[in-house]
Amino acid sequence: MEWLNTLYTSFYNALIPEKRYLAYISGVKITLMVALFAVFLGVLIGILVAVVKVSAKSSKNPVIKPLAAFCNFYTTVIRGTPLIVQIMIIYNLIFTARDSNEIIIGTVCFGINSGAYVSEIIRAGIESVARGQTEAGRSLGFTHIQTMRYIILPQAIKNILPALGNEFIVLVKETSVISVIAVNDLTKMASFIGSRTWDILPPYIIAAVIYLLITMCLTAVLGHFERRMSQGDHH
Amino acid sequence: MIITKNLQKTFGEHHVLRGIDQHIKKGEKVVVIGPSGSGKSTFLRCLNLLEEPTGGEVIFEGTTITDPACDINELRQQMGMVFQQFNLFPHKTVLENITLAPVKVKKMAADEADALARKLLERVGLPDKADVYPGQLSGGQQQRIAIARALAMNPKVMLFDEPTSALDPEMVGEVLELMKELANEGMTMVVVTHEMGFAREVATRVLFIDEGVVKEENTPEEFFSNPKNDRLKDFLSKVL
Repeated sequence: MEWLNTLYTSFYNALIPEKRYLAYISGVKITLMVALFAVFLGVLIGILVAVVKVSAKSSKNPVIKPLAAFCNFYTTVIRGTPLIVQIMIIYNLIFTARDSNEIIIGTVCFGINSGAYVSEIIRAGIESVARGQTEAGRSLGFTHIQTMRYIILPQAIKNILPALGNEFIVLVKETSVISVIAVNDLTKMASFIGSRTWDILPPYIIAAVIYLLITMCLTAVLGHFERRMSQGDHH
Repeated sequence: MIITKNLQKTFGEHHVLRGIDQHIKKGEKVVVIGPSGSGKSTFLRCLNLLEEPTGGEVIFEGTTITDPACDINELRQQMGMVFQQFNLFPHKTVLENITLAPVKVKKMAADEADALARKLLERVGLPDKADVYPGQLSGGQQQRIAIARALAMNPKVMLFDEPTSALDPEMVGEVLELMKELANEGMTMVVVTHEMGFAREVATRVLFIDEGVVKEENTPEEFFSNPKNDRLKDFLSKVL
């Protein structure tokens, strides 16, 4: 039973003394906050980029084409380079002010990164809506943007949501990378505590369990939404 | 009302419309027939620029709508369109399908649009379907709703793109009946169809489009009893 005792002690040390559990909680708060705002930013960017890309196929507006080229460049670069490298570049190159807020930088980075993936998800969703829907909208006098807003996107959302939910979950896990720019998120807190107790494994295992709980909760919530949406389906 | 001058449309190498000159006058019911792939649907879709012509002009009520400077959204409000596949909005109820464009495009008050929609539902014979979703309706009912949706914008002309081709035979009648009523009320109509009976009964003029040009046009009596073009004779002998 010796090992069980040791195990208990090491986990006890990783959690209780100096109110260490509070450190995990504050880390979770930051992780969730970063993920939440990054998701909002990502969806916002994603919708814009997707609409531009889809519109470029039919629109003759002279602004759309260069815009679409830029959007293509954006998704190619973001999806083709590692997240951690993107964060280091944005942190060191763009936000060089001394009193810059790492949390905001991190959130913006994740938002920009996620936007590229989200835009592809949304684009596929938009393209899954039958072409006749666009034609019906346009024939009634809706502008391109109105057609998207009132007719296409509400239908596309059903196809988008499952993949988007997956992207949220990925994002929550990926926020752990933010610790490289000295943000005290859950991962960083685990490593702090490990360096205090000289026992690195228990805090990381605790962090892993917390991440798992968060993603499981998200999966359950998203599953609930998907079921709700398919109930409204009359086909 | 609608004038086309040397209307051309190519899809890549494929030359679908090879110059169509037409003048559709107010109150006319023009029925367009022709073999599949002849360009008749493309011709219709060029009239409200759902298909962008690659050459020639379309003039609607004195406005050259093929001019890039023209506000096509404004003009499309005056041209109702009915599609082969109905294209109702599946995520909206029947009532919302009809009120969406009047409210969002014409900025009509919601209760006013509601009343209008209910009146139109009455007219197309489906007053009890206001709150159901399109997916719960038969094809014929969906197409009648689609006609009501187009009429809600109070268009000056109605374009029908094979409105009965996707319907079960027993539902064709109800849609044609509604279109006849519409015609009798004086609506200007352009109808692409394979329904020769409808053409004979309702049309003021019948066009035969083949290989991207109008090969023959005439009053329905002359058109069906005394066709001149060989290709049309051949076509009629197959479909009648």
